[in-house]
Amino acid sequence: MFEQWIQWLPGLLTGLQTSLAVTGLSLLLGLPLGLLFAFGMISRTRILRQATILIVELGRGIPLLVVLYVVYFGLPDGGIVLESFAAAVVAIAFNTGAYTSEIFRAGLLSVPRGHIEAAQSLGLNWTDEARYIVLPQALRAIVPPLMSYSVIVFQATSLGYAIALPELLNSAYQIGSVTFEFLSVFILAGLIYAALSIVVSRFVDAIHSKTAH
Amino acid sequence: MIDNQQKRTEGAAGTTDAQKAPQLQPKDIHKEFNGNTVLSDISLDVNAGEVVAFIGPSGAGKSTLLRCVNYLETPSSGDLLIDGKPTVKIASKPTRNELMNLRRQVGMVFQSFNLFPHISVLRNVALPQERVLGRSRKEAEERAMELLTRVGLGDKADARPSKCSGGQQQRIAIARALALDPEIMLFDEPTSALDPELGGEVLAVMQELAATGMTMLVVTHEMSFARRVSDRTVFMADGRIVEQGAPEQVFGAPREARTKKFLEAVLER
Repeated sequence: MFEQWIQWLPGLLTGLQTSLAVTGLSLLLGLPLGLLFAFGMISRTRILRQATILIVELGRGIPLLVVLYVVYFGLPDGGIVLESFAAAVVAIAFNTGAYTSEIFRAGLLSVPRGHIEAAQSLGLNWTDEARYIVLPQALRAIVPPLMSYSVIVFQATSLGYAIALPELLNSAYQIGSVTFEFLSVFILAGLIYAALSIVVSRFVDAIHSKTAH
Repeated sequence: MIDNQQKRTEGAAGTTDAQKAPQLQPKDIHKEFNGNTVLSDISLDVNAGEVVAFIGPSGAGKSTLLRCVNYLETPSSGDLLIDGKPTVKIASKPTRNELMNLRRQVGMVFQSFNLFPHISVLRNVALPQERVLGRSRKEAEERAMELLTRVGLGDKADARPSKCSGGQQQRIAIARALALDPEIMLFDEPTSALDPELGGEVLAVMQELAATGMTMLVVTHEMSFARRVSDRTVFMADGRIVEQGAPEQVFGAPREARTKKFLEAVLER
């Protein structure tokens, strides 16, 4: 079995590269989106706040696979045609933005009200207040849960299989359909997902216990 | 002096305000929270260089009034004049520019210090100068150092605020506000979170500041400070100014029954 695994590994690793690329780009676009949503949700402008909450609720309420289908199969009807890679990034980034907005929001609200009042009374404008006072403090509360969430994003890229994205799971399926060793190849794929996820999770725990003290 | 002369010549040129307007004038400041009146039509004239102490029971609206002066609370109605000019056109709807202008002229010190914990003491005092006044980093840090030395904390410049005692933190907070060269300083129960000894350090700095001619509005439970340092003591209860006057008068011979009752309760402790 191990000989087989070594033989399959190059193919799977190519798939893994795609998975990681989609993960990275989705985070790169999705996290700023999440931060933007968070600011929207705590905005004093009522319309902005309600509109953002609606978008976030939709983003969290609609299953990621449905979003993927809408983007990949649905948007061409509106004239927007995306390749599977781009479609996966767009869909996962949107999903990430919606889910992480809550993490960002909690982080922003963890900054004591008094610090914000101090910043205001000193005459700092809104952007300086966010940039120099709120975000640096919020970051401590935000980083660990965001890293944990990045593991979920990585695993979610396996849904890309459904829109023919040549990611890790898809590569495994291709190998299985040629060799009929489905059990073996899927176990190997699963172990690869798990190995990376566990490493990141351990890392987060380490950071957590360090910052807690 | 110069201002007075200027006013006089302006007066001669045809303007109506022959006399110099008080530096700060809250006029009919009214504040409601969800239908509860917290301040009912407060008016006050504060002259340049005057130290006004606000005393009274909790819930009297002292802090709320102070917070209305720099718009951390937005008054429901009324006017806030500085040097005779309205700071905000529509009291309940300040624009961003109006807020910036107002807060440039008014500094504030809080009960809970509110230093920024993630940057050093020096940066706490320098950063607002750089962002608000556009001073260079070097210039701002020099000014910060000068003020920290003045409040006796030059050696704490590189420390984090959490490494300083409460009294030290409050003195840093005073330096931070002063660094922006305000014309009026607001103190919201600056010693209430401190034990008497540490509070004393803070009061000494405030007393020194008063002696330099800074206009100060101080909400305080420190009766002896109000009595010794203030030019005028204002007694508030139930969202109104009950009585005000020279501290000797308010403390020594209060006219209103409510003031007497409060002072008896406080001074007998």
